[in-house]
Amino acid sequence: MADAENRPKLTVGDDGVVHVSWTQSLGKPMSAYIRYARSNDGGGSFSPPAILNDDRQLISHRFDALATDGRGRVAVVWLDARSRTAKTANKSPQTDVGLYAAVSADGGENFGKNRRVADHSCQCCRTALTWTTAGPVAFWRHVFGRNIRDFAIANLDGGPIVRVTDDEWEIDGCPHHGGGIAADGRGNLHMAWFTNGEKRKGIFYRRVARTDFSKADARPDMSAPLPLGDPARQAGHPAVAAAGDRVLLTWREFDGQRFSAWAMLSQDAGRSWGAAQKLAEAAQQADFTLPLLDARQALVVWNTAAEGLRVLTVAEARP
Amino acid sequence: MRRACLAVLLALAAATTFAGELRPFTMDSLPAIQQQFAGRPFILTLWSLTCHHCAKELQMLGRLVSSDRNLPLVIVSTDTPAEAPEIRAALKRFGLDRLDTWVFADAVPERLRYAIDPAWRGELPRSYLFDAAHRREAHSGLLKEAQLKDWLKRQRAGEKYIFKGRKQRET
Repeated sequence: MADAENRPKLTVGDDGVVHVSWTQSLGKPMSAYIRYARSNDGGGSFSPPAILNDDRQLISHRFDALATDGRGRVAVVWLDARSRTAKTANKSPQTDVGLYAAVSADGGENFGKNRRVADHSCQCCRTALTWTTAGPVAFWRHVFGRNIRDFAIANLDGGPIVRVTDDEWEIDGCPHHGGGIAADGRGNLHMAWFTNGEKRKGIFYRRVARTDFSKADARPDMSAPLPLGDPARQAGHPAVAAAGDRVLLTWREFDGQRFSAWAMLSQDAGRSWGAAQKLAEAAQQADFTLPLLDARQALVVWNTAAEGLRVLTVAEARP
Repeated sequence: MRRACLAVLLALAAATTFAGELRPFTMDSLPAIQQQFAGRPFILTLWSLTCHHCAKELQMLGRLVSSDRNLPLVIVSTDTPAEAPEIRAALKRFGLDRLDTWVFADAVPERLRYAIDPAWRGELPRSYLFDAAHRREAHSGLLKEAQLKDWLKRQRAGEKYIFKGRKQRET
């Protein structure tokens, strides 16, 4: 199934293996399984789909994210309600939803036991996962203290849960609006997210320089949050891609009638940015924008009801 | 025979408008609702089947409705008309199926959201407390039952006051 931020994931490793993960609806509202399949022949055929959540309960396992190191390791994270019991269900403020992970060391043929990465996460925002030089790193909307819905990072190979935003968004509800993260292959992380917090509102970008989140005393070296897009046009659902020194941000805006796709490019690992570019408009319903980036091209993929799937080119702004 | 009975029942249901109907919420719906509550306070609550907190909110509202039959409450689902059976089942479960209920009906639901309030970013549950003059207070996340009861009490006291004032002018 796919709805809003809950969508299937696809990633191709440097080894050419195609990995897909998705959420399979089980009929009952919000109940779902996390599924995974891979293709060793470039998408010609796929392995029988595996169920990754090893508890097999008819409960919420949703909002999967997927990443591979391209050398045989594959990781999937998702939001999982298995620790919710009748006793704790009404025991506010505990959300009883946590971030769970399954990791494969053999290219996705077998996955290790499910591991609880974090307890007490937000229940209905997308999760994000990227492979860094120090292993797989997850990024998700966590619940800090009583009910502060800010973002956290954790390395799935071990290490602490590190709070990486301080927007102070206190809401006893569902934001339905998360964030994205990308590793640039040089040790830096690039994150983009939405908040409606006490301290800031809108979408933001932040660079995390060379922090090893597998270390117990990881203290992220982060840039100040950079506001993106026009809040009056509901700039939202940001996504980020990184490749070496190049970082691409994309988001969607809505003026009350029409959606538009936007992007912004950095050539120096997120230290400075070219101007925001409006890439296209949509006459009817529009999906979120997805960034694609390598050393030569910066692209945004946008699926819209009236215009169909478009691959939009982001202009290179060389300094 | 059974099929014929069912057809008659369905035709009757289609021809009759009664409270408890799930109506399509379009660009004109909020003005129409405000017209319906002209000069009166009301609560507008938006929810979705996909929202974990919304069930708690509906449960609380259901409790309130059962003790206060005249609760001026309008419930709008941000799901789609295709999900009407699930929406009706959920409303029924919380004892809210006899109220005026609505479901978002637009190919671009963001337009409806924007028309209600450009500052609303889609978080749920979302509520608007309209006073008698229809000045509104927006709230994201669960409403607290005590807070809502207190607001209702103040609004109803205000109504009485306005009513008294008119009477005085009349005499």
